[in-house]
Amino acid sequence: MIEQLHYATTPKYNFPKPLEDLQLPQRFMELSLKSMKKIDGEYFQPHETTFYEFAKENFQDATSTFLHQPSPTLRPIPLKPISDDTTIIAIDVSSINVGETQTGVLCAVRGVIVWRGKNRYRCFHLGPFPFHVTEENKKEIYNMLRQCYFKVSEEASNPSLINMQIRICNLLERWLQMGVSCSSHRSIILWDGSLTAGTVDSPVNFVSQLLEMARNRLNTVLAFSKMTRLRISGHRLTDLIWKYPPPCLLQISNVPTHASSPMRFLGNIYVAKLTGGSCSFRLDIDKGVQHEKGIEAVQRLLGNDLLSQSYPETLRLAHIFSTFTANEVIGIQRFITQKCGLKIVTRPNVRRLLFGSFGKGAEG
Amino acid sequence: MRLYRKEGNTVQILALPSGNVEKGDYLLIDDPATHRSLIAQVIDIQFANVPGILEELLRNSTTNGLVYEERFDPLDIASHVTYIQDSRLLVCKIRGTVEDGKLSVSASWLPSRSQSNVKRLPTASLLTLAKISEDLPVQLGETKELSQFTIDARALDGKLNIVTGKKGTGKSHLSKLLVLGLIDHGAMVVVLDLNGEYAHLGFSSNGEKNQHHNKIHVLTPGSNFKITLDQMKLRVMLNVLIHALHLPGTSAREFRRIWRFLQERNTLTLHELGETIKNWKCNQHVKDALFSRYYSLLNSGFFTDNPAEATNLEENFQRNREGGALILNLRDTSTVDRQIVVEYILGKLVDLLTQWKIRAVFLFAEEAHLYLRETYWDDIVTRMRHLGVFTTFVTNQPNTIRENIYRQADNIFLFNFTNEHDLETVSRATKVDAETVKSIARDLPPHHCLVLGNVVKDFPIAVKVRALDIQTTGQTRFFFIDKD
Repeated sequence: MIEQLHYATTPKYNFPKPLEDLQLPQRFMELSLKSMKKIDGEYFQPHETTFYEFAKENFQDATSTFLHQPSPTLRPIPLKPISDDTTIIAIDVSSINVGETQTGVLCAVRGVIVWRGKNRYRCFHLGPFPFHVTEENKKEIYNMLRQCYFKVSEEASNPSLINMQIRICNLLERWLQMGVSCSSHRSIILWDGSLTAGTVDSPVNFVSQLLEMARNRLNTVLAFSKMTRLRISGHRLTDLIWKYPPPCLLQISNVPTHASSPMRFLGNIYVAKLTGGSCSFRLDIDKGVQHEKGIEAVQRLLGNDLLSQSYPETLRLAHIFSTFTANEVIGIQRFITQKCGLKIVTRPNVRRLLFGSFGKGAEG
Repeated sequence: MRLYRKEGNTVQILALPSGNVEKGDYLLIDDPATHRSLIAQVIDIQFANVPGILEELLRNSTTNGLVYEERFDPLDIASHVTYIQDSRLLVCKIRGTVEDGKLSVSASWLPSRSQSNVKRLPTASLLTLAKISEDLPVQLGETKELSQFTIDARALDGKLNIVTGKKGTGKSHLSKLLVLGLIDHGAMVVVLDLNGEYAHLGFSSNGEKNQHHNKIHVLTPGSNFKITLDQMKLRVMLNVLIHALHLPGTSAREFRRIWRFLQERNTLTLHELGETIKNWKCNQHVKDALFSRYYSLLNSGFFTDNPAEATNLEENFQRNREGGALILNLRDTSTVDRQIVVEYILGKLVDLLTQWKIRAVFLFAEEAHLYLRETYWDDIVTRMRHLGVFTTFVTNQPNTIRENIYRQADNIFLFNFTNEHDLETVSRATKVDAETVKSIARDLPPHHCLVLGNVVKDFPIAVKVRALDIQTTGQTRFFFIDKD
């Protein structure tokens, strides 16, 4: 298939070398094309252009919500920016539901890496890669990617069709994180989400390896969660820092996990208020990094990146660039209908049919 | 292309960038279920309001120059996204309906939005559908599709035409084309040539005589165009004195007596007129007034007492019976003298037409406001038209032509205008809606005109006016000459 279609890679390629060697785009592309090969002539119901995005950190965080825990220790840590030209790297991915076919769903994923170094930003866009996921091929797609990039031999439990979009998206994210971890040096790597492992998409071993890989090259991984469901004695975690002057961190020590739960916190958990304004975030710093080094990494982030509302600009750009706009969804739909000969149909809106002008909300 | 909206006689068509549709193009909205098609003309092209476009533009503007970007998009989906970004909305005016191959101006039906096919309608096909005949063809130029655009000279016959556009867009050039086209079909044409631009219509660009040479007669007042007082009727002379030379009523009455006195004695000459005024017993003020007008007539050089030197306009028209143009070169003529000459010409034309000595004449008047008195405007579009004077006004100042002239104009050849005020004036023409005029005329390139009215059966068509192999005169003189 690759020979037939022969997609040439970008000749001028300013991407770190080891990332190329991983050949994920090639494999992703193969799977993307293979998944869509069988849909020729099917009917296609495009997803409405009002799109939504799956917040990955919510997904992870949701499973780690805990209430009424015995009170952990809260320790405010004031910060002083360190300007030393440390490179800041941020990774973000997003996925979108493009539509439905007679046999499955069409989705697309995309990843973005943003670097800040020498007072300028560089951005690398990867994708988008459309996938046609059916009951037939979902296991094949998922396990192939999983085994290829997580190097795990055992097959994961069969994901539901509806979750496949998030699964593929998470795989791409992990791969990008791996690529960045093993290709950068003395950098601060920003992840979108938390350092919680133990889910299907984030095996503890694999995430630990990722962090170790980063540490070995003197990088520090910091993970920012825009939203967290962690609460301490009923209080939202991010509300605990409001009385401390920025920039500062609030360390949440002794966060317990259920012994029976497969979830593992691979990072030290902090609440970060890095600038003035109303926002504060949950910040996970790689547990394998010494506490002082971790704090120093946050101070380097303060000194070497722009921050607005306590959020690093590099990560903000990564999020903005990875987000799908409605127009892009239409463009992907056009690509799929043209390449795969799909016939677009508009299914009647049941709510509208039943309730007329009172039938509001999503179709179904 | 897909039909998107209809409101009044405006339809909006959603088109992709590859559609290559431009303002002025015609579209056929074919509804296969009803076997009918709407004909619509594109009057504006806008960007389609694609969802998410603002976010994308904002995102791209963030990166401009600040963020160095690289992309790995092996499936080239970005090109599809860009394609959607550039999708456009064609704002069109409904011009008619085609049903069973027949064209009607009715547009009281609504084609299916989901089933209709929208395609471009080439101008040549439109002309065939509209049955714009070419019995007496006058080739104006070519359409956007490079097909020849020809009008029927009959569509100018008995009609009031306006050629207008800003300076340097090619109005006079089109007028010359019309003049030559008309005389080719045996029409008699009179051109009031303000800048001496038509004087060389009988010569090719290389200076040699062309096929029209024998049909072009240039009359220059004071030079090869002089008349005796005897040739001029009292009515016309009084018009000259009152309207061109502003002679008061009392003095005009005295002049009438003098004129009749000389007529009775068969001594109606310029010399005798001067002598008679000198010896005429009347109020000194009246005498002074008459003398001053007498000297104006004398100094115009347009009058002569030598019959051999005088021009017989009737004979000139008789010579042009098989078609020809009488070019009245007013280039070096003063404002007052210009008015004297034009009063004489129009008076003479009315006389000849009333007596059926000539059948009809096509009058081309360049910047007519500079020599045509106020009362003539209405006269030209009403009484004189019925007598057989079919006028074409040529101007770059559309506000100098009265609104009622625009309302009654049968054909308008509209060149580029950018000034809102000018466009507003022209848009008062009843032959087309104001939006079409304002939108299309603003973007017409030089030498392109929008043809409106009877000649195109009310289907506005943008035409690139063809070149003419004639000697050009009347071009602007420049101080800085190209050294190459």
